[in-house]
Amino acid sequence: MTDIRFEGVGKVYPDGTRAVSDLNLNIGEGEFTVLVGPSGCGKTTALRMIAGLEEVSEGRIWIGGDEVNDVEPRKRDVAMVFQNYALYPHMTVFDNIAFPLQNRRMPKPEVRSRVEHAASVLGLTELLQRRPKTLSGGQRQRVAMGRAIVRQPRAFLMDEPLSNLDANLRVQMRAEIARLQRDLAVTTVYVTHDQVEAMTMGSRIAVMRKGVLQHEGPPQDLYDRPANLFVATFIGSPAMNLMRARLESIDGRLTCFVGDQQFELAAELLRAKPHLEAYRGRDVALGVRPEHIGPTVAGRPQLRGVVQLVESLGSERLVHVEIAAEPVLTDEILELKRDIDEAAVQTLQQGHDEHKVLLIARFSPEATTSAGEPVAICLNAQRLHFFDLTTGEALH
Amino acid sequence: MLFRYTHRTVAREFVLIATALVFCIPLYLLLTMSLKTTSEVYTAPLSLPKSLNFSSYSNAWKNAGPSGMGHALFVSATMTVGSVVCLIAIGSLTAYTLARRTGRMSTFLYLLFLIGIILPFQLGMIPLYVVMRDVGLTGTVFGMIVLYTGMLMPLTVFLYTGFIRVLPRAYEEAAQVDGANLRRTYTRVVFPLLRPVTGTVAVLTGIIIWNDFFLPLVFLSGTNNEPIPVALYSFVGNYVSQWNVIFAAVAISVLPILIFYLFAQRELIRGFAGGIRG
Amino acid sequence: MSTEITLEARKTRRRSSRRGGGPKRVPWLLAAPGVALVIAYFVAVGAGAWYSFTDWNGVGHARWIGFQNFRQIFSDHATRGALWHTLELAFAFVVLVNAIGLALALGLNKAVKSRNLLRSLFFAPVVLSPLAVAFVWQYIFDQQGALNWFLRTIGEPGWQRPWLGSPTWALWTILVVMVWQFSGLTMVLYLAGLQGVPDELLEAAAVDGATTGRRFWRVTLPLLAPAVTVAATLTLIIGLRVFDQVLALTAGGPVDASETLGTQVYKQTFVLGHYGYGAALALVLTSLVAVMAVAQTVILRRREAVI
Repeated sequence: MTDIRFEGVGKVYPDGTRAVSDLNLNIGEGEFTVLVGPSGCGKTTALRMIAGLEEVSEGRIWIGGDEVNDVEPRKRDVAMVFQNYALYPHMTVFDNIAFPLQNRRMPKPEVRSRVEHAASVLGLTELLQRRPKTLSGGQRQRVAMGRAIVRQPRAFLMDEPLSNLDANLRVQMRAEIARLQRDLAVTTVYVTHDQVEAMTMGSRIAVMRKGVLQHEGPPQDLYDRPANLFVATFIGSPAMNLMRARLESIDGRLTCFVGDQQFELAAELLRAKPHLEAYRGRDVALGVRPEHIGPTVAGRPQLRGVVQLVESLGSERLVHVEIAAEPVLTDEILELKRDIDEAAVQTLQQGHDEHKVLLIARFSPEATTSAGEPVAICLNAQRLHFFDLTTGEALH
Repeated sequence: MLFRYTHRTVAREFVLIATALVFCIPLYLLLTMSLKTTSEVYTAPLSLPKSLNFSSYSNAWKNAGPSGMGHALFVSATMTVGSVVCLIAIGSLTAYTLARRTGRMSTFLYLLFLIGIILPFQLGMIPLYVVMRDVGLTGTVFGMIVLYTGMLMPLTVFLYTGFIRVLPRAYEEAAQVDGANLRRTYTRVVFPLLRPVTGTVAVLTGIIIWNDFFLPLVFLSGTNNEPIPVALYSFVGNYVSQWNVIFAAVAISVLPILIFYLFAQRELIRGFAGGIRG
Repeated sequence: MSTEITLEARKTRRRSSRRGGGPKRVPWLLAAPGVALVIAYFVAVGAGAWYSFTDWNGVGHARWIGFQNFRQIFSDHATRGALWHTLELAFAFVVLVNAIGLALALGLNKAVKSRNLLRSLFFAPVVLSPLAVAFVWQYIFDQQGALNWFLRTIGEPGWQRPWLGSPTWALWTILVVMVWQFSGLTMVLYLAGLQGVPDELLEAAAVDGATTGRRFWRVTLPLLAPAVTVAATLTLIIGLRVFDQVLALTAGGPVDASETLGTQVYKQTFVLGHYGYGAALALVLTSLVAVMAVAQTVILRRREAVI
C-alpha cells in the first residue's frame, strides 16, 4: 500500500543553490530502491524531503497516496536511519528504541514487548541497558535500525547507514539489512555513494548527478544498458573502458575507427542500435566493459596495443593495455576522475596529449600475456556501447 | 626533554609552595583567629590558639543579621536557587530559539544579549529601585529573584547559545521523525544534552548571586530578609575590632561555598576557563 | 518529463514553500520571556541614563538640568577624586593581577608534583565573597593588626602605618586585597591558554639557541595573546566596578581618599538621595567600562592578528 512518488520535485536553498531538479520517481510498495551518486548529487536531499526534514521547493511528494508536502515529519509515519545514527546519547538502548513509541503515548507494557521483540530480531537483547557510547559501530547501527523497525512504519529511509563501518562489517551488514527488508516487506529508500552497495542491495537503482536523475531501473538494466556516459562509468568496477571513435561508411557498411585502427560493425549490432546510422561521419564515445574484452577470437573486432600491467587476482587477470586512441574527456568523466584523485585527471589529460588510452580487460587466469608485450585484444561485438559526445546520451 | 624532574623543578616547586604558604596566611588567620579568646587576638596574632574557643561562633550565629545566620543562610539559598532555576529554564529556551533560528532577527537579538553582558548594572538599578519600591517588591526575596534573573539573563543566554549552535541537529531531526512534538523534543532530547553548559551556568550564576552584596544592600538591608553578605556587613559594623567574633562570622559565611568548592573544584575551574573564554 | 507535469510543478511551487512541510521551526514564543527580560533591562538602563540629566531625588518630579550633573562630577572634589581613584585602581589591578597570574600559571604549567593542589588553592579565593575576603584583610591592615605586628616582630617598627586610615595608603590596601583574590582567576585563564603553546615549539626554540627569557617573550607570550585579551578585559571590568572591598575596608575614607565610582554611586543615590546625580555617576562608570573594554579589546585583538 505504501508507494512513494516524486512528481516534478525540485529543491532550491535560500541562498540560491539548487540541490534537486525536476525529479520524477516512483517507488513501488515493498521495494528496495537505492538512490546513488557522487556526493552533492542531491540523493540525501531527496531522502530528507521524503522525511519532511527539507521543504519541497517545487513539485509534490506522495507517500502511500497522501500528498505530504505540507505534512510535518512527525506525522508522516516514516522511519529514518541517519548516517551517524543519531542515537540519543543520554538514553539507554531500551529508551532509544522505545522513544518513538512513547511519543505516541503507547501503554508501557506494549512498549516493552515491542522493544524486546525488535531487540531480539536484531540481537540486541543483552545490550538494552547500555548507553550508546559503550557500543561498537555495528551495535549502534543495529540500535538505529531497532528504533526504525519498532514503529512498523510505512517506509524506511536510510541515509548511508554503512559508511561509518569498516569494510568487513559493511559486507555483513549489507546482507543483514537486505534480509531484514525482505522479511518485513517495508518500502525502503536507501541512499549511498557506493555503487557496489547499490548494485547488491537494491531491487531498483536511481542514479543521480547534480540534482538530476540520470537513470532508474533494476540493477542489471543499468549495467547492461546505461542511459548515458555518467551511469556507464559510475556503475561497474573496474569502470567501463571509454575511447573516442569515428563512424564512417565504407562500402556501405558502417565501420568504426579507433585511432588508426578500424573494424566493421556487425549487422546484429546495427539492428539493435538503429540510431547509430545517424552518426555516420561523426565522432562518438565507444564503451566496452572489461569482461567483454578478451584474447583474440576469429571474426570479432580486434584492436592492437601494448600491455602495460597485468594484475593477477587469482580468479582472473586484469590486463592493462595501451592503445593509440583518444580518451573521452567530457565533464562527467572529469568529475568522476576528480572524485578519485587529481592525479587521475592528470593521467587522462596526458593520455589526451599523447594520444593514448589505457583499457582494462578481464582475462582468464591462464592467460600468458605479460607487461611490455604487444597484444591483440578482441571486443565482444554484441556488447559495445556508443554515446553521443556532446550530450552523453547512449545511442540505441 | 625540558621537563625532566631535575633539581630545577625541585627549586621551582619549593618556590611555588612557599608562595602558596604566604598566600594562605589570610585563610590561616581566618581560621585561627575565630577560635581565639579576645586577649589572644592582640597578644599572639600569628600563633595557633591555645584552646579551641567556639564562643565566637555561637555569638556570630545567633546575632548576625536580623534573625541570625541560620535565617540569612536560608535567604541566600532561596534567592540563589530560585534565580538559578529561573535563569536555566528561561535562558535555555531563549537560547534554543536564537540558536536554531537563523536570520536577521535572531542575530540582532543575540547581539542585544551580548551587549547586555557588558552593561554594568548600576545604571539600570536606579530606575529599577524606584519601580520595585512602588510595586512593593523591595525587601522581598521574590523581587530579588526577578532582578537577578534579568541581570544575569544575557550571560546565561550567551553561554547556552554558544553551546547549542554546535549541537548536531541530527538528534532533533531524529526525534521529529520519531514522532516527537516540540515539547517532547526539547524536554527529552535537547535539554538533557545541554547538561555540561547547564552545569557551567548554574555554578557561575550561583556563585555570583550568592556572593552579591550591592543589590541586597540596596534592596534588602534593614528588612527581615538579609542574605549572608548583608548580614555579615551589619554584624561587622556592630562588633568593630572584635576580630575573633568577626572572623567567626566570616568563617560561617564562607563555609557553604568552600564546601561546595571542595566537591566541585575541577568542574568549577574548567567552567570558568571555558565559559569565560567563550 | 511531459509538459503537463512541469506546469503542475510550477503551480505548486508557490504553495509548498509557505506551509509546514519542512522541519518544525522553533517558535519565537519560546524566547519571549527571555527577550522581554532583556528588553526590560535595556529600558531600565535607558531610563537611568535619562535620569542622569535631571535633578531627581527619588520622589516627586524630575527636572531636566542638562549636563549640570556631569559638570559637577568633574568639579566636585569628592567625585572627581573618585573618578581618578577608580582609574588608578583599575589600571594597577589589571597589570598586577595579570602579571602574577601569568607567573603562577607558568610556574604550575610544568609537571610539578603538587600541581593540582596548588591550582585549587590559588583559585579558591575567586569563589569567595569579596566582602568576606575584605573583612579578613581589614584585620591584617588594621593599626593593631597582623601586618604591623609582623613589621614590629622583624624589627622594623618604623615601617608601621595606619594603613586603612592613611590618605596615601588606603587606596592601595584595596589593591592588595583585589590582587590577592583574583590572581587565581587569571592564573586559570593563562593555564588554559598555555595549553595552546605546544611544547615542541619551545623545544625547537631551545635547540635554536633561545634562552628562557627569549623563549618566553618571543614564543610563549605571542601565542598567549588570545588569553591575554580575555583576561585583561575581564579584569578591567572587575577592577572598574569595585565596590564590596572598598565599603568593607575603608568605606571610602579617610576623607574620600579611597572613594571609587562604585561607592559614590551608592552613596549619592541611596544614602544622600541624589538620584539624578547618582545616575549621572553610574552613566560615567558605564561609559568608562564600555569604552575602555572595547578599546582594550580592539588593541589586543589587533596584536593577536599580527601574531
